[in-house]
Amino acid sequence: MTEASLVGLLEATVSFGALLYLAALGEMVAEKAGILNLGVEGMMAMGAVTGFVVALHSGDPWVALLAAVAAGAAVGLLHGFFTVVLGAEQVVSGLSLTILGLGLSAYLGRGSVGRPAGAELVGVDWGPLTDLPWAGPVLFGQSPLVYLAVVAGFATWFVLWRTRLGLAVRAAGESASTADAAGHSVAGIRLAAVAVGGGLAGAAGAYLTLSLTPQWVEGVVAGRGWIAVALVIFGAWRPGRVAIGALLFGLTLALKTRLQTFGVDFSPILLSMLPYLLTVGVLVVISIRSRNRPSPSPAALGIAYRREER
Amino acid sequence: MTDPHIPTSPVDATTGNPPAVEMLDVWKRFPGVVANAGANLRVRRGSVHAVLGENGAGKSTLMNVLSGVYRADEGEVRIDGTPYHFRTPADALDAGVGMVHQEFRLVPSFTVAENVALGACDRIVRRSAVESAVGALADRFGLATEPDRPVWQLSMGERQRVEILKALWRDARILVLDEPTAVLTPGEADELGAVLRHMADDGRTVVFISHKLHEVTGFCDEATVLRGGRTVAASLFVADTDATELASLMVGASPVVTERPPAREVGEVLLEVQDLRCPDDRGLAALDGLNLTVRSGEIVGIAGVAGNGQREMAQTIAGLRPVESGSVQLCGEDRTDATPRQRFADGLGYIPEDRLGVGLAPRLSVTDNAVLRTYGRHRRGPFLDAAGATDYCHDLVDRFGVRTGPLEEPIAGLSGGNLQRLLVGRELVDGPRVVVAAQPTRGLDVQGVKAIQDLLVSEREAGAAVLLVSEDLDELLTLADRLLVMHAGRIVAEFDPTTAERYVIGEAMIGHSSSASLASSDQGSSR
Amino acid sequence: MSRPVLVRREQVLRGGQPLAFGIGLCVALLVGLVLLVGSGHDPLRVYGRMFEASLGDPRAWSVTLNRAVPLGLAGLAVAVAGSMGLWNIGAEGQIMAGAIGAAWIARIGGEWPSPVLITAMLAAAILGGGLLALGPAVARARIGVNEIITTLMLNEVAIRLVQWLVHGRWKDPGSNNFPLAPMLPDNARLPGLFERAHFGVVLAGVVIALFGVAASRTAWGYELRVAGSSGATARYAGISLERKVMTVLILSGGVAGFAGGIELSGAADRITEGLSNGFGFAGIIVAALALMRPSGVAAVALLFGAVQIGGQSIQTMGVSSSVSTILQALILFGAIAAGVLSRYRVEMVAGEATEVTG
Repeated sequence: MTEASLVGLLEATVSFGALLYLAALGEMVAEKAGILNLGVEGMMAMGAVTGFVVALHSGDPWVALLAAVAAGAAVGLLHGFFTVVLGAEQVVSGLSLTILGLGLSAYLGRGSVGRPAGAELVGVDWGPLTDLPWAGPVLFGQSPLVYLAVVAGFATWFVLWRTRLGLAVRAAGESASTADAAGHSVAGIRLAAVAVGGGLAGAAGAYLTLSLTPQWVEGVVAGRGWIAVALVIFGAWRPGRVAIGALLFGLTLALKTRLQTFGVDFSPILLSMLPYLLTVGVLVVISIRSRNRPSPSPAALGIAYRREER
Repeated sequence: MTDPHIPTSPVDATTGNPPAVEMLDVWKRFPGVVANAGANLRVRRGSVHAVLGENGAGKSTLMNVLSGVYRADEGEVRIDGTPYHFRTPADALDAGVGMVHQEFRLVPSFTVAENVALGACDRIVRRSAVESAVGALADRFGLATEPDRPVWQLSMGERQRVEILKALWRDARILVLDEPTAVLTPGEADELGAVLRHMADDGRTVVFISHKLHEVTGFCDEATVLRGGRTVAASLFVADTDATELASLMVGASPVVTERPPAREVGEVLLEVQDLRCPDDRGLAALDGLNLTVRSGEIVGIAGVAGNGQREMAQTIAGLRPVESGSVQLCGEDRTDATPRQRFADGLGYIPEDRLGVGLAPRLSVTDNAVLRTYGRHRRGPFLDAAGATDYCHDLVDRFGVRTGPLEEPIAGLSGGNLQRLLVGRELVDGPRVVVAAQPTRGLDVQGVKAIQDLLVSEREAGAAVLLVSEDLDELLTLADRLLVMHAGRIVAEFDPTTAERYVIGEAMIGHSSSASLASSDQGSSR
Repeated sequence: MSRPVLVRREQVLRGGQPLAFGIGLCVALLVGLVLLVGSGHDPLRVYGRMFEASLGDPRAWSVTLNRAVPLGLAGLAVAVAGSMGLWNIGAEGQIMAGAIGAAWIARIGGEWPSPVLITAMLAAAILGGGLLALGPAVARARIGVNEIITTLMLNEVAIRLVQWLVHGRWKDPGSNNFPLAPMLPDNARLPGLFERAHFGVVLAGVVIALFGVAASRTAWGYELRVAGSSGATARYAGISLERKVMTVLILSGGVAGFAGGIELSGAADRITEGLSNGFGFAGIIVAALALMRPSGVAAVALLFGAVQIGGQSIQTMGVSSSVSTILQALILFGAIAAGVLSRYRVEMVAGEATEVTG
């Protein structure tokens, strides 16, 4: 195992980790407000295609990123409309959103398959820091979206746990009637949270097509949306733990193509099962531990709220 | 007694201040029910004012009008002499009225401080600052609490203090508490009394809903008594009255619907409960050595203030709640560990307190609900005989006069009275030997009440042993052959309903067993 | 200021679900029309072609029916759990697990007579699907672990298990080192029915009908209804919730596994990681549209089969097959909206109405 390959592994771990983290943060925000959105895969696909297509036409990666965020948020709001306004079953609506997002992204991207990227989000220039051994490539040679993910993590933590708005968001996810009685608009909070979640998923999608592999192919999300859903549980709905989980799951993604280079005789496919099995394990532990204390899962998660039916 | 329509003016003679709260001729109707029929209330600033009344007297509705949860159909609400029309609880809070509901509105996973701050705080929440501010507020009113503890770790009494803190945090000058002591231990109730006193001395006004007389006489200044949605006594000075007068005002004399059935020979013991103990949902003792017997051909009534173990008693006898110790015997056999299905087969009919959701499945059809207990009989191999079940249901519906739509439609559309007829009919159709009926007539209209009562009486005539739990003392006095009073999870007194005096029963219900006829009658009658 | 609110109707509108479904279909076709015009196609011709290819003649019907088989069985799997208020989101993986079981039997039973082999394969498929649901079932019944997440996670595990097998042990030595499992032996193939339709159509129809009968006519189905309506009522009636949750989830997995076995034996040449093809997820939509009723599942599955087959056929006209994917999702969204409006009506209220009644 050479130093270069190890650095490459760590670099890829951070890169994949940030990708997963962006999407997982979004899902976490929605779930904290009480909305389970199984449409992450679809929202990421919409972000990915929008980012790529807008980059083709505008040539500006930042405009493309903004458009991707907007597209993710818009699709997220569709889930919000059905689950919050109409009170539809969140599981069904979310899965339909995944199907819709995958279909719509394929439709919108049909003319862009195989075309070179119109613009890319290239690494941020950190000056001499980039030349540091190890830390340089791993920490300072990354796409701007990696740093955006870090900022988003801190921002999410701050807003949710240190502001009045965050208090209301968490209350909406724990006990909608309590939040309502305290004078907060549960519907407004939940819609906003789903939109933010969609926006972050859109950003994660744009990361795929503007940074990681700057091209558009159908199915580019490749199940990473499901990992994001898993991460929220693995991280017990806390930004810090979700970040650790994102790096861990990112490591398994990075290792997948590198196991053989390291001379490890273990199937990369079996390795890629690990995040899902770990998540199931964590969920079981959470359930056992929450027999005599509240679960870290938001208590009102998945439950529609109508004032007259409390 | 005071004339209800011309309430005595509580205007502070020395200061001439207007009353903190004035509610004039308040009417509030719900479909099929008139909850408030011209209720009046005047509360002097700086006092602790009790609003008394039996269940269904309209206390909670009146307080919900005061705190903006409901809008009154008619009538006026004045706070410190200014008329208000509250549309939301937030409106009421802005005017200084805060309410503590029976069901707490708290987020269990939040800390005390977070729950308090949820109502109002700065955009940026600095934890330590909020915690110390909440702590300071709590200290000021003697509300012992730890602001950084999560609410799920707190006892009911502590949670209630958080609810009070929430109101004070929003600067409520008038605090309304809906039966605050219902969830408290006696010690906690005394502490609460001290806190409320403290708040009144601080210049705030406390409106306190209760039906526990000793609390009213213990720490309230004035009391208003409601009955049937009206004020029957307004702003009595507690010092000038006593528990007996208040009790008779509360109970009044309501029209008797059902005639008292003629006395009848009783037979063998069919239901016997010995030294039964079990915890409630919170793990506190609900039944604490309960003893009782019911014989063939008698109706035994259970009276008591809500939350003294009546619910758990009915559930343990039906087999829906595990017991800690003690035994339940049906028809002479020990059935303490039998399943609900076995007990039904033994001849136990059970009419649970919660009709929809326990006794009946709301989304299922009339037929499906009718065969809930007996579907095993309509089996043919693995199949259910649908025609047989429908016939069975037809008979049931005919015999018990249930008015339904098509039998295959969900029962959710049936009226309360018809739901209860269906449920009671299902439990009685086989001629059970023992019937446990928990609040069987609650919330029904006059005809519905009469129908259910008649059914219970005819079971008694047929030789069944009937245990009737009710919050309606008139019902118990009319139907019961023996009246047992339950308090703190045990039977504390037994009365002969034909001779017992209401106020004596009332005293027993609040745990003053010294005045009751037989402090240990439960022991005597069960041996 | 006034704003719209949803007010519960006293009476649910008549015709409910079929109507909602029809409205959903119309919404989907209208949006599809916009998409088609947007990409420069004649929508009427495209829709006409979709109809012809899926329902136009017996051959088209046979292809559509084949497609409706995994959709219907997956939908049934979800509906079985859904009738008790449980969510089996793992049909996708259970289909794979079923296919693994069936493929395994096909590997060891190559010499067996066809009926024996196929029966054994389908039995192994049911077992495989049930086995994948076993963990979530036990966890839910005993510890109360949310079955939505556990079943969802196991999807990804099952798909990777297939990948692992076809990359390793099950790799066909004659595949020029491509990660492909060997072709199924001929005696492992389900017999044909008419045109392209295979015998799985009959089997799926029978299973769906069986469940329809079981749900509506047996004591077991009755207990399921009671438990699904109210847990407390079920206890009162003497029904063990724990056992019901467990059997229902395992059975649900078994049905999805059965779908995998039939898909392998009837429609696929060999087991591949693409075998489940989104059927498990589509099954959730099918079940939701059918209101968790087996009878409805068959009808909705047929329609979804037609949309999918029609969608494939228009690729030759240069239309992206994604249009049919979009249509499927939109049918559901349209139907949800219509379903809600059959139970609620929209009213404008002034300001903040916070009055609660009852």
